[in-house]
Amino acid sequence: MKESIQQVIRTIDELDIDAICSVVQHCLDEGISPEEIIESGISTGLSIVGDKFESGQYFLADLVMAGEVVREAMPVLQEKMNPDMTAARERVILATVQGDIHEIGKNIVGLILSANGFEVIDLGVDVSASKIIDTARTTGARLIGLSALLSTMVGSIRDVVEASAKAGIRNQLKIVIGGACTSDDLRLEMGADAYGETAIDALRIFKGFIAAT
Amino acid sequence: MHPIERIMNTFEGKPVDRVPAFCAMVEDRTFNEVLGSPLISQETLMNNPVSRFFLDRWGQTLSRTVFQPEVARTMEKRIKAQVELGFDGVWAILDETFTVVDSKTMARFTGSIFNLQPDGFGNMTYMYRTAGIKSREDFERWPYWPDIDAIAHSTHTFFKKMVSRYGGKTCLFGQSSAYGIQESLYWAVGIERLPVWIRRHRDLVDRFIATNEDLCMKTAMAMLDVGVPVILQTDDFAFKSGPIMNPRHIDELFGPSYRRIIKAVHDRGAKFVLHSCGDNTLLFDTFISWGVDGLHAYENTSNVDIYHEKKIHGDKVTIIGGVGVDYLLTERSRDEEVVEKVKECIARLGPGGRFIISPVHSLSTIPAHKLRVMVDAVHAYGHYPISIH
Repeated sequence: MKESIQQVIRTIDELDIDAICSVVQHCLDEGISPEEIIESGISTGLSIVGDKFESGQYFLADLVMAGEVVREAMPVLQEKMNPDMTAARERVILATVQGDIHEIGKNIVGLILSANGFEVIDLGVDVSASKIIDTARTTGARLIGLSALLSTMVGSIRDVVEASAKAGIRNQLKIVIGGACTSDDLRLEMGADAYGETAIDALRIFKGFIAAT
Repeated sequence: MHPIERIMNTFEGKPVDRVPAFCAMVEDRTFNEVLGSPLISQETLMNNPVSRFFLDRWGQTLSRTVFQPEVARTMEKRIKAQVELGFDGVWAILDETFTVVDSKTMARFTGSIFNLQPDGFGNMTYMYRTAGIKSREDFERWPYWPDIDAIAHSTHTFFKKMVSRYGGKTCLFGQSSAYGIQESLYWAVGIERLPVWIRRHRDLVDRFIATNEDLCMKTAMAMLDVGVPVILQTDDFAFKSGPIMNPRHIDELFGPSYRRIIKAVHDRGAKFVLHSCGDNTLLFDTFISWGVDGLHAYENTSNVDIYHEKKIHGDKVTIIGGVGVDYLLTERSRDEEVVEKVKECIARLGPGGRFIISPVHSLSTIPAHKLRVMVDAVHAYGHYPISIH
């Protein structure tokens, strides 16, 4: 692996937001394509950060910072990126369910997914089932992430599942839930496809769905 | 034994007659069940076209003249209901942090925006909406920074009344309008921007922490001046997945403030309790090093093993918690399940003292009846020496 790509990996691993733009620019100056920087450098760096988060060496703030480091670098890369590559990104709809306005977890998931190449369609908080399903139909997104913190609002997850069935697109969608009041038992109860406890779980689940199709 | 003696002895690891019961505050639905509901509900009063018209135009003025006095009355109802339910220790809070911006929006004076909304039981409640400070300019221009001396004065006035009315019946755990130094910071700038703020705007972060320390310190001293025996500070340092930040960074950033506040509380002969939601397993040693006398929450839904924590930290700090609000203290549980949980907590956490049984949180969904069942079970089975196994 080229030394400059290794430097991208190290910069992300060290969460050095002040250095990332010049490190990425150095790669571009060496003639390395944006696609290779993302595939070999940024993805590997984020993967190392994710592993450290899961093993307890890094914490939520570090995970967020890694996302911010990548976000800082993206404008530099996008200037030189092949437009076809941006268009081919997998779309994920994220929303906090109707009746609930907590968005911290959802935003962190969005940041990590964006940093890993997903196109995130963030519908915000207190989002109705019909709006989520309409967005899936109009954008062609197959992946939906639902966040819920309030135990009183978990029924809204079922509303989304049922709305997708009513719209005849349930089989085309993968619905993932997360948030303080959610669990794998709740996933089963609500008829969703997966439950993620952390942003890294969410990333792994969505990548898994893509790989399986 | 008087509730204050029972609780203070527990903090000091001295013998007591029974395991004390602490109430993690009660929300409107619960205190209305205890004290009786008002003739006209808050939701009817505030969430109608006429009220919304006035709040949308003159929310800030109405905050001072109507809203804050009503908040103080509500805060007293919370205390009164907890006392009537029979708890030894009650969470007594005066929350003057909000200014009504419009009929759906409140600004917390330390930089965050909350929704004003119905709680589903006819009352109005608030929920965090978003950060209010997104840039250095926002920080400098934030219009709601508190007048700390005025807040300390109203804290003194409110708690003087509460000590006079309830101090003879219960042990007041006083919380002022000063919310946690750390959680106020991430509410203000947004948790998804917090790491960048710490990296790039450290001067403002330090100013924010210093302002909040001053607020915590002055309001704590105001409560101690009128005889509140325990200062309670909420600061959620963790989420379900663990600490928000590296424990070392938490200690570096917030430890000095907490050490100074706790020392000042101890110098006045009072106790300091920290409430922190989430999985704090990796942080308990840090909190103990700051000098806390008690730690509250030990959320079962965040995978915190309260029994293990009692084993390893029970000689250094008082463990407060044990009864979950996700199922047990809801309408879905059976009374016998609550009693069994109380008995289990007493049997496993009671021996050796330094344990106060408590709900792990307050929630608008907790029925008063389940709290009564909990307290009755503590009174029935909590006597020392513990005889249940």
